[in-house]
Amino acid sequence: MAEVRFNKVRKEYGSTVIVDDVDIVFPDGSLTVLVGPSGCGKSTSLRMLAGLEEISGGEILIDGRVVNGLEPKDRDVAMVFQNYALYPHLSVLENIAFPLRATKSRRADALRRAQEVADSLGLGALTSRKPKDLSGGQQQRVAIGRAIIRQPAVFLFDEPLSNLDAKLRVETRFELMQIQRRLGITAVYVTHDQEEAMTMSDRMVVMREGRVAQTGRPDEIYARPNSVFVATFVGSPKMNIVRGAISDGAFISPTGSRLAVAQAPARDAVVLGVRPDDLLLTANSGGTARVALIELLGPRAIVHLDAGEDRLTSVVEADRLSELTVGTSVDLAVRPGALHLFDPQTEHRLPEV
Amino acid sequence: MTRTVNPWSVARALLLWVAALTVTLPLLWVALASVKSPAQLNDPGLVLFVPNLDNWARVFEAGILEAAGRSAMVAAVTVAISVVAGSMGAYAISAYKAGGAATRFGILAAQVLPPAVLVFPFLTMAYALRLDSTYIPVIFAHLSFVLPVITWFLIGFFDAVPRSLEEQARVDGFSRFAAFRLVVLPQVLPGIGAAAIFGFTLSWNDMFYGLILAPTQETILPVAIAAFNTFRGVELGAMSAAIIIAVVPVVIASFFIQRRLVQGISGGAVKF
Repeated sequence: MAEVRFNKVRKEYGSTVIVDDVDIVFPDGSLTVLVGPSGCGKSTSLRMLAGLEEISGGEILIDGRVVNGLEPKDRDVAMVFQNYALYPHLSVLENIAFPLRATKSRRADALRRAQEVADSLGLGALTSRKPKDLSGGQQQRVAIGRAIIRQPAVFLFDEPLSNLDAKLRVETRFELMQIQRRLGITAVYVTHDQEEAMTMSDRMVVMREGRVAQTGRPDEIYARPNSVFVATFVGSPKMNIVRGAISDGAFISPTGSRLAVAQAPARDAVVLGVRPDDLLLTANSGGTARVALIELLGPRAIVHLDAGEDRLTSVVEADRLSELTVGTSVDLAVRPGALHLFDPQTEHRLPEV
Repeated sequence: MTRTVNPWSVARALLLWVAALTVTLPLLWVALASVKSPAQLNDPGLVLFVPNLDNWARVFEAGILEAAGRSAMVAAVTVAISVVAGSMGAYAISAYKAGGAATRFGILAAQVLPPAVLVFPFLTMAYALRLDSTYIPVIFAHLSFVLPVITWFLIGFFDAVPRSLEEQARVDGFSRFAAFRLVVLPQVLPGIGAAAIFGFTLSWNDMFYGLILAPTQETILPVAIAAFNTFRGVELGAMSAAIIIAVVPVVIASFFIQRRLVQGISGGAVKF
């Protein structure tokens, strides 16, 4: 168990900066998810922590010890790769036991431990199989088993679920969380999937272009994104973003949107963000927006709206679809207290009003 | 009902027959010659005759098996060194782009040098180092072409091994070299087997370096075969028997590795 710390960590390839002076603290025992679009530096950060990439600047500390110059084998970390990287020539049992071969443990002991781990992951009956004879989900479990057998100081996960189908991904997600909680080992988890990040993480680090865009608990980040980027990256369907001005309790954009925002003070230029769940619709024949498309998701539906040239989305209860059909004109309002305002120049969050 | 015959497939079959006969007929003729008497040898078309084993007795007496043993020893040592050095070199080129893009093919550059250019430096060094009565100079000379070919051959096999395997093993607690030995190398064992047989054949077939660098009295197989070309004329019968001894192992080996051979050559050639 260990705290992991990034102090001004930097990675450059030639003149290209991949990771730009990043400071992150991964608290002891937490599951922290690094999330961001591809090319944001999250995987490179993880690989630097593993020791697979050299660090161009700054320090990485595991349990208070600077690990910059250490080989991966000396860092006491375990990693699960996206493609699982199972050893094709070894059986399931030998794969799981493999990290113990690097230690002084006796072969018989190692195999016994591996059998226990395999049993705990429901792989007990498959231990003599080769990886190629396993399903994707089973391969994933073997990779997890191999990571947990040595009880490392830190777990590293590099998009471990992205090769699984959607149903299995959700199941495995919770299984991984349970294992991590049970062992209490600090985990760093990289994904590009914001939903995965939201559901799994104790702490979430949103990255963009080599920098940390925002750090915090997932619910905090969802409720108070500090920039337009974070606001649109986190949450599904995406937050509506419109540029315009606020006066007399209404937001009006030059492109034609009109939203009732009772609580907001007047402003000349502002970026308004409203989550689809917080965009309220009232059918009104004189309304400024028109329903363009409805996607039914079962109990709820995503309503796509044309508001002048702006396209907005709203999530409504399915029973309201009797009054809302394609072509219906509606008035738009923002749920009180659910308004996000950003500076039009910096795109940073404006101070609360 | 008439069957249409594709003229192209006919042409292809013909071409294959011509190619197959071009290769097998001389071998067949050599096999026949090895059991003919000197008088029968003067009639190349003679197919029906009573075979005799005089030629075979003659080559065994002349020590052809010992020469074959020496050739096998030279080839085995050459291949052992080449496989160890070549697999490490090939992985470095494949995974770490060692030497840049040029190495991938540049490694074969030495192949365009005629052996005559290299043989005298080798000979001079052998004398200077007092190694001229050993097989070490021949082995080194053979390494000059077997090692690059084996290395080049293996690059394609290593290209097919995901990098994450080595990385996984390093995170799992192993050094870079242990990761290579325990995890990467086992993935390319079939390729290494094929490369070893291929390299063995190259060394086994070489005559030029053996002729000049091997000890004159206890020479290697191709040179021993040539020795049946005496000052009294060519002992065709005996030479034929010796040639069969030299060819059969190569034919058998090629049969076993043909699929890997194609894979190695195309894999090394196509991937950039």
